[in-house]
Formats: sequence, C-alpha cells, structure tokens
Amino acid sequence: MNVIYVLIPIAIIIVALAIVIFFWAVKANQFEDLERQGSSILFDDDITPSKNPPSSDKDA
Amino acid sequence: MQITCFHCGLDAPNDHEFVVRVFDEPRVMCCPGCQAVAQSIVDNQLTDYYQFRTEKAIQAPSAEEQAALLAKLSIYDAPELQTDFVLDMGELKEVQLTIEGITCAACGWLIERHLVKQDGIVQNAVNVSAARASIKWDPKKISLSAILSGLSTLGYEVQPFSPEQHELTYQKEHKRFIKQLGLAGIMTMQVMMLSMGFYFDWLGNIDAVMREYFQWISLVLTTPVVFYSGSTFYLGAFKAISQRRLNMDVPVTIAILGTYFAGIKATTLHTGEVFFESICMFIFFLLTSRFLEHRARYKATEIASNTMKYVPVSASVLHPDTAEVSIVTAKSLQPGQIVLVKPGEIIPIDGIIRHGCTHIDESMLTGEFAPVTKSTGQPVYGGTLNQHQSIEVTVTSELKYALVNQILRLQTNAMAQKPAIALMADRLSQYFVSAVLVIATATYITWDTLGNPDAFWITVSILIATCPCALGLATPSALTSAMARLQQSGILLKQANVLEALTDINHVVFDKTGTLTQGKFSIKHTTSISNMTESELLTLVSSLEQYSEHPIARAFSEYDVYPVIDPKQHLNLGVEGCINSQTYRCGQAKFMRHQNQISEHPQIHDATIYVEDDTSLLGAIWLDDALKADTLDTIEQLRFLKQSILSGDSQANVEAVSNMLNIPSGFAQCSPEDKLDAVRSYQAQGDRILMLGDGINDSPVLAQANVSVSVGNASDLAKNASDILFLQPSIASLPLLLALAQRCKIVIKQNFMWALGYNLLILPFGIAGFLTPWMAALGMSLSSIIVVYNSSRLLKFESTRPLS
Repeated sequence: MNVIYVLIPIAIIIVALAIVIFFWAVKANQFEDLERQGSSILFDDDITPSKNPPSSDKDA
Repeated sequence: MQITCFHCGLDAPNDHEFVVRVFDEPRVMCCPGCQAVAQSIVDNQLTDYYQFRTEKAIQAPSAEEQAALLAKLSIYDAPELQTDFVLDMGELKEVQLTIEGITCAACGWLIERHLVKQDGIVQNAVNVSAARASIKWDPKKISLSAILSGLSTLGYEVQPFSPEQHELTYQKEHKRFIKQLGLAGIMTMQVMMLSMGFYFDWLGNIDAVMREYFQWISLVLTTPVVFYSGSTFYLGAFKAISQRRLNMDVPVTIAILGTYFAGIKATTLHTGEVFFESICMFIFFLLTSRFLEHRARYKATEIASNTMKYVPVSASVLHPDTAEVSIVTAKSLQPGQIVLVKPGEIIPIDGIIRHGCTHIDESMLTGEFAPVTKSTGQPVYGGTLNQHQSIEVTVTSELKYALVNQILRLQTNAMAQKPAIALMADRLSQYFVSAVLVIATATYITWDTLGNPDAFWITVSILIATCPCALGLATPSALTSAMARLQQSGILLKQANVLEALTDINHVVFDKTGTLTQGKFSIKHTTSISNMTESELLTLVSSLEQYSEHPIARAFSEYDVYPVIDPKQHLNLGVEGCINSQTYRCGQAKFMRHQNQISEHPQIHDATIYVEDDTSLLGAIWLDDALKADTLDTIEQLRFLKQSILSGDSQANVEAVSNMLNIPSGFAQCSPEDKLDAVRSYQAQGDRILMLGDGINDSPVLAQANVSVSVGNASDLAKNASDILFLQPSIASLPLLLALAQRCKIVIKQNFMWALGYNLLILPFGIAGFLTPWMAALGMSLSSIIVVYNSSRLLKFESTRPLS
C-alpha cells in the first residue's frame, strides 16, 4: 500500500498538467465554437479527391 | 413528383433547366444562382461539403443581386474606410466578418477550405455557431474585396463588422466560466475518487495515517476549486450584501466557505469529518447552471450584434467650379455640397435633385418595391437606390439627421419602453433566500442548545440541500435547449426571454410586401383580344421588356424572346420595338396609341400592361405581387389568434391580399409612424402583439411590438429591431415557434415544481439531522440532472399539431 504515497502525488502532477493544457486551449479559442470543431474530423481532405493524390513528400 | 433543388432544397422547376454534375451524377437546381454556386463548389473540388452537410444551404442570390453585391464590395478597399473595421498589423491585416447563409458545420468547412486555397490569406477561422469568420491577409497579394467576392460566389453574403464593447466583455466572461468549470470538473473527479473509497470501504482497513494523508490530498485538490472556480459566488454575494440585498449567492457562499474552513480545521487538528468532495461537486453543479445561463445570453448578444453590420457608405462629391469628382465618406458630407449618384448606386444622404430624372427604389424606407420616379427639385433619401440614370443631388442635411437615422431613433425609443419581466423572479428569490437563512440559523441554535456535536454539519447540509441549484437550472437549461432546437429550424432568438413573452401573444400583425408576399412582380394572367395566342403575346412582351429597366420587366426575364430591332424605352411609360418588321408597343394604358379601344373590352380595363401593334390593341397582362408559397397554409394554422395586416401599399392591393388570406383587418398606406400608432392602440386595448416585418419602415413597429420577428429577406435595420430572426424568407416557421414557446413554458413549470418540491421535501430531513453534507450534495446533483434531462427533451421537439 505504501506505493500509494508516491502514486498519488504523480497523479496530482498529471492532473495539474492537464489543467494547464486545458487553460491554454481555452485561451487559444478552441472552445469558441464547439459545433464546428466537433465535426471537423469528418472533413478529411485526403479521402475523396482521387484526381489529386496526397502529396508524396508527406507520406514519405 | 416535385423535385427539390440539390443545393438549397427549394422546389425546382420541372423542366430541369439548371443542372450540375456532383458526385458523377446530374443534380437538378432551382435557379441559376444555386447552379452557379454548386458549379463553383465542384470546380474548386469542395464537393465534400455536400457529403457532410446536415442542413441544406440557403437559396443562392440571383445573377443581378450578385452583380449589385460585387459592385458594392469595391468600397471596402478604400484605405480611409478600412480604418474603421480593419486591424492593421504591419505587413498583414485582420478583419472580422459576419457571414449570412451558414446552415451547418459543413458550411464552415467549405469557407475555410476555400480561403486556404486563396493566395495571400495567412490565417482564417470560421465560427459556425456565431456565423462569423476572422481573416488575416496580406494586402499586397489579395484585396479585401476579392476575398469577399470569392465568398459570395459560394453563396454566402459576407460583411465586415466590428464587435461591440459589451460583447467583448461577454466573451471574456465566457472564457473565464469555461476555465472555472473545467477546473471544478477535473478536481471533483479526483476528490470524489479518493473519498468514495472511504465511504464504501473499498480500500479495506485503512489506518489513521493513510486517512490523514487522503484528507490532505483532498484539501490540496479542493483549494483551487474553492478559490478560483467558486469566486463567482463570493463576488455575487459580496455585491448583493454591499447593496443591502440578499441573493442566492449568500447561502451558497456560507455553505462553501463554512465547509471548507471546517475541513481545514478537522484536517489539521485530526478531529471531526471533512466534506471536500461535497464542496467540489456543489461548486461544479452550481457553475454549470450559471454557465448555461451565461451561454444563452452570450449567444443572443452574438446574434444581435451580427445584425449591426458595418456598411460604409461613400459618396462622389462634385465640385461645381472644376467639375472634378472626389470620393468621401457619407458621414463627412455637409449641406450644400453636390453629390453625383450613378445608376445602381445607393444615394448616400438626404438631398434634393439638382439635375436629372430617374427611378428610385425606396423599398428600404417604405417597404414597397415599385420604384418612384423623381426629377429636378424633388427630395431623395439616403439609403435608397438609384436605378436608372445619373443624378446630381444637393445635400440638405447631415447624415445624422437623415431619414434613415430618424427611423432608427424612433425604433430605439420604442425599444426602451419595453417592460422588464425579470423583476418578479428577483423578488421571489430574495424571500426564498431569507427563509433558508432563517431556518438554517434556527436549526443550528436548536441543535447546539440540545448539545448535538453535529449541529454545524446539519446546518451546512440544510444550506446545501436547499441550494437553488436545480431552481437555477430550471429556466436557463430549458431556454438553451429551446434555442438550440429553434436554430435547427432556422430561427434565431436575440433574447432568450422572448420565448416567455411569446406564450401570451393573442394578436399577430403582418407587414404585407415582402413578408406575406414575395416582394416582386410576377405575371398573374394574360388575355389576348386579337388572333394571337396568349403565349405568343407573352413572348412578344418579354422580347420588348428585356430592353426595359423598370422592375416590372424582371417578371418577364424567364420567358422566351424574339429578336427585336431598334428597341426604344420610354421612361415610366413603356417600350417599343420592331419584331418581324412590325412595330409593337407595350406599357401603360396612356402609352397606347389605341387607348380608346380599351373601353371596348371591359375585361381588360384594369390590366397592368397593354400591348398594341400599329393598327390595334392586341391584349393585356396582369402583374401582381404573389403570395409566398406557404403563407396561406401558415395563416390557416394560426386562426386561433387575431390577425391583422399593416402595409404601406395601396388600399386595393392590401384588400386583395387580406381577402385571399381571409384576414379581416388591414390598414393600407401606413407610414412608419402610422404602423407604430396602430400597434400602440392595439396594445392599449390589452392585446399582446406579435409583429412580423421585413422593411426599414417596419423597424419602429417591430421594436414596439411585444415580440417581433423579421423574415429572411429583411433589411438590416428590421433585423436589428426584431427579437427573432427567421433565416428562411418565409413565415412557415411561425407555428413551430409558437408551439415550442408553449412547450418550453410547460417544461420550465415542471422543472420549477420538481426543484421546489425536492427542496421542500428534503428540508424536514435536514432540520431533523438525518442528512450529512455528502448526502445533501448528492441529492442536489441528482435533482439537477433530472431538471437538465427534462429540459433536453425540448431538443427533440417536433410540432405535430400546433396548439389550439
């Protein structure tokens, strides 16, 4: 059980990190428009256009 | 079966005239506008838009609207005008735009993709829910007007604007709320995890050291929640007390700080209990309700300020001595200066025509689309559109005294007189809070005198259990859900509380032109009195009318034409031309050479246009302003309300429409003041008015009505004055709006009953000492969740049968 004395402080540090990232995200306007960001993953540019294949230097 | 437009979903003509290949299949469009937009989406390889959109687009503007728009856009490149709305960042420039026509997230994607492909645009972000975009661009590579015109080829109307000060404050608060809420949420999870172990003995036998360790950890995790996330409540309580008032924040503050400091005491002195997880949960749920309320208001302000677009108006000033023309802003014009207005330009200011004769479209002032003919010596008004020939105008007053601005002032005054409805709820909560504080104090004293060591915790439990959290959520959660549901159907609310006012409306007042009707001429029927067939006659007139600039001519634009030789336009009378070596004339009765023949044919005496050749009268055509497709159906569904029409149009036209719709009361030839007086007198009789309108002339009366709606094609000023905006140019959403408002009221009542009922039920248990703070916090959370769930049912609301 003694390991918990180490694990919990580590967990707290991770949580603190998560909160810092969250605050940064809010500051960077990522929470301004939840409607749009929620669906942006659907619009992927490299699935449909068969005419112009994804640039090869990216894949390399 | 009727085919609908692939782009916008409106009915398409049956001859499948407008077709674009999308996803390798021909798709039918309803009009050349939609065809052009769809084609440009395909050409730019943005067809993903059609795959992922969840709503149909709005109908694209016609070619002539598009051209008029593009002509206006070049104004935005003038550096002296840009200083008002463009942020200069050295090399780059940044602008905020409002976008009309965004219907779903796919629109945001379409716009962003399109902008990314333009050379010179450094950064762009589209906010779908606010219908805005911010763009950073390099002025050396691309001009602002080119960016705007590119977006308009995709079917979006875009305009720069600068957000108002109070909206910026809201935005700041909004961000703070999200941070506070996120922090409280994350910490609540952590603290809850630790304490749940204790409550249910999941960790097996725990020694006192471990227990103390857990308490310290909980204290560390709770501290930021209490001091950062909870600060909203302490500030609220402090403000209220310093004004010698009580509000909901007062008992909340006592409960939070009391529990927190008692927890510190218990942790440091190793005695007693701690309830850190209850504090966190309590703060989290309370903040959620505040956040929902704030978001509903923030959203409403955003929508409201989108209608306050910044439209710079420039003017070409003519120097009488040198005949030189210079461009200035309309704001800077002084009485006595001479302004040159070319055809297709907006007249920048009020003045008197010094030279020239033209048709002027005054529809934005009067709501009537038929143009007015004006010549030397007659007054013209700022904001109206010169349609025909160049005129020189002598400025008579400064811009701030212009007629448009006077109407705007009329509207502001009417708005200020709106009654505040929030006063009652405020007073009620004062009583509620006083009662809670009295009961809590009495309980503490009683238990303390009886020597119960838990007296303090019992009191805190009462404060938490009776916390008006569910009560606080009751209204905002329902309003937010209702607003989201309405937005799906293209209805935007500028103030959330109008839903409440909508439920006791008993009288609907309509503007006629543009609201009930389409606001443009269409052909009603054709009569031939010669051996020509009616369709031949129509083709003949269409051939001649294509050379006319009168708005009537637009009604003929979709018909076939013959080649015409030597067409001549006679201002305000008609057109003549040679077809197959025969001269034809069409126009008003007084333009006809054979007008004496009109009396021989009684069936054509009231026609709009007559046609003749060199020898005799050939026939006549009736034009009118047709009703919008769904007007009659909507009016039928609203028969349980009183209905009236207020219009600036002539008596005959208003009567025709009111007979067709079977609306008994109608007032014709109303000025903006007349409309305002009419609505005031209805209100004096005790009627609660819902007003629908679209023109600038409607804006004062929209502001005066108890609730006002502007339909999709409305002028900016009307949108600005109204509480509710319909995105579609029809009134078909009205029954849904009324039904949902009714439903929303019922849901709010249910929420109140549940929240109050729960609080009253739990109170005796609290006083009797059966509750510990964690039970109280859990009960409060459950009650909040039930309220939120109940409200969320509004999101799925379908109007089956409107209220009766």
